[in-house]
Amino acid sequence: MIANYGYIGLFLIAVILFTLLMVTIPIALRFLRIVPDNPNPVKNSIFECGMETIGKTWVQFNFHYYFYVLIFLALDVLVIFLYPWAVSLRQLGISGLITILILITIIFVGYIYAWRKKVLEWK
Amino acid sequence: MLNNLGLEHYLVLSAILFAIGLYGTLAKRNAIIILMCIELMLNAVNITLVAFSRYVTPELLTGQIFAIFVIIVAAAEIAMGVAIILAIYRGIESIDATKINLMKW
Amino acid sequence: MNLALFIPELTLAVFALLVILLDLFTEQKRLLVQVSVSGLVISAGVTLAMWGESFPAIFNNMLAVDNFALFFKLLLLGVAFLVILASISYTQKFARFQGEYYALVLLSTLGMMLMAATTDLIAIYIALELTSLSLYALVGFLKDSKSTESSLKYLLLGAIASVVLLYGMALIFGFTGQTQLGEIARVIQAMSPQTILSFPALTLGLVMLITGFGFKIAAVPFQMWVPDVYEGAPTPITAYLSVASKAAGFALILRVFFSAFGLPEWLSLNWGIIFAFLAVIGMTLGNIAAIPQTNIKRMLGYSSIAQAGYLLVGMAAMGFSPVVDILGRSSIIFFLTSYALTNMGAFIAIIAISNKLDSDLIDDYTGIGKRAPLVALALTLCLVSLIGMPPAAGFMAKFYIFSAAVRSNLLWLVIIAVINSVISAYYYLRVVNVMWLGKAASEEKISSPGTLRLGLVLSCLGVLLLGIIPGFAMLLAEFAARIFVF
Repeated sequence: MIANYGYIGLFLIAVILFTLLMVTIPIALRFLRIVPDNPNPVKNSIFECGMETIGKTWVQFNFHYYFYVLIFLALDVLVIFLYPWAVSLRQLGISGLITILILITIIFVGYIYAWRKKVLEWK
Repeated sequence: MLNNLGLEHYLVLSAILFAIGLYGTLAKRNAIIILMCIELMLNAVNITLVAFSRYVTPELLTGQIFAIFVIIVAAAEIAMGVAIILAIYRGIESIDATKINLMKW
Repeated sequence: MNLALFIPELTLAVFALLVILLDLFTEQKRLLVQVSVSGLVISAGVTLAMWGESFPAIFNNMLAVDNFALFFKLLLLGVAFLVILASISYTQKFARFQGEYYALVLLSTLGMMLMAATTDLIAIYIALELTSLSLYALVGFLKDSKSTESSLKYLLLGAIASVVLLYGMALIFGFTGQTQLGEIARVIQAMSPQTILSFPALTLGLVMLITGFGFKIAAVPFQMWVPDVYEGAPTPITAYLSVASKAAGFALILRVFFSAFGLPEWLSLNWGIIFAFLAVIGMTLGNIAAIPQTNIKRMLGYSSIAQAGYLLVGMAAMGFSPVVDILGRSSIIFFLTSYALTNMGAFIAIIAISNKLDSDLIDDYTGIGKRAPLVALALTLCLVSLIGMPPAAGFMAKFYIFSAAVRSNLLWLVIIAVINSVISAYYYLRVVNVMWLGKAASEEKISSPGTLRLGLVLSCLGVLLLGIIPGFAMLLAEFAARIFVF
């Protein structure tokens, strides 16, 4: 029982050693004067891809995203049912097809509702 | 290597997750976090269902189908919950569950 | 798979979608009411045509089409019809969202009909959630601060309760390896008591099931949501919650505990004790907490907690008596029918009065007897029925339930219940006293719309009919309780 966890322990030790090694290498290189040490503002800035952030990150998101999430969620849920059906398409036959069509009709009514309530337009 | 990982391990894991979720629903003040804790509890139950399905009835898929339905209902429940929380936020500009106290006893 | 037996439910689903679509493309909002009512009528007609015959279960034994299910379907459809009647004048408060309102009422009715018919844990969970999700939205429909607050409370507590229920179901599934109620019963009966008791899964699962169901039927100690939700929700929805949600919940409990855990007898004795305990604290707390209330909706909320307690007396009687004895089951069905009519009548009267007064406070009801004598008379009849005094239906309902309990040697429980009925008379009669003997704030007559009057007349006639000639309804209830497919 305990022996099985031995592997996990080994992995843990390996991970810690590897991380320490990766942190030590640049420090050691700078200490040995192999890497030049001349800082400037761009180098010292926080490393981030894309645009620089404007303002705080704790902003409120526009209310409209909620509707988009809902519309996405409907499809998401539909897919959960579609996959098992698609896998056993042949066994389920025509009755399975009809059931899925009923499901799609219900979701479709939801989409018509969203469309008529002008959720799809960005105001 | 983890061959003797048995049913009990999954059940204990799911019981711990369920307890964490239950603690969160009772102790947290932010309504969104309460919803997240409910989601955690649902997923704990899903672990139980799938584990039972795998170990008790390996030849059937009942438990796993059950879990799929639970996932779907959970999605609907959360959508409804967030909608109601947004409606509350419009009224009192806060989603602190301790401030939602117009009615008592 | 025989889809013809599923037509009542299918009809409701189709009509709910139809209402949503119609609302998007028409300005004639009256049409929505007509479409929803016709959906209910067609569904009820088909159900009625199936009454009395025995059918096999459909969808791989997931849905039973027995007379028990058919009886509850008819009851729920009738209640939904009364709710829609009561809503017609009320929906002016949210005129923009009438389509959603009626569609959600139909969908939750569909969920409750499924609750009465399901014989499989998966289907039970889905039916419960279909009902609850529709009701969460309906409770918050007024969009004012009280309504949204009660909706949030209902949603959070309801979600936790259903998760607990689900965990219980998962444990029972793990213990037996089955989700179909009849199969679960077969597995349990094949085990020895030692095997069952050596694993905590079944016991824990049963307790969790009772917790989850107890939330639905507003049994103490799972009742915290009831007063707040009843106060905040739109009044027709309060009526719907108190009546239909409770009826469907009890239908579900009856079926689950009777067909899956009815045998062996020592097991049914054990859950019978739990239900007896819940009944005692439910009745006592509901009645005592109702006394100081000032808001009539809130008062009826506590009253419905107490009524759930009386119903649980019937459940306890069922657990304590052998499975062949059907008095426990049929008395619960009779009580639910009479309670449905009574509470619908009371709430329709409250809608009629409160719409004009724009207040739910009991103090504002002073002198209503002079301003709207007929409505006040109807409300009085319903309150008398809730106390359980003749000639109203409530008397016979309590009589049957208590005699079932006495027959199961639960005399102590009946004594507590009778004491509670006496306590409850105080707060019900206070409203009657205020209405008839109080001084009216103004002499102006209160007139109510025709739809409300129709609903009121229908439910009051039902209350009187069940109270004066209960034999026929009791026969129907016994018939529904006897043929239980599992």
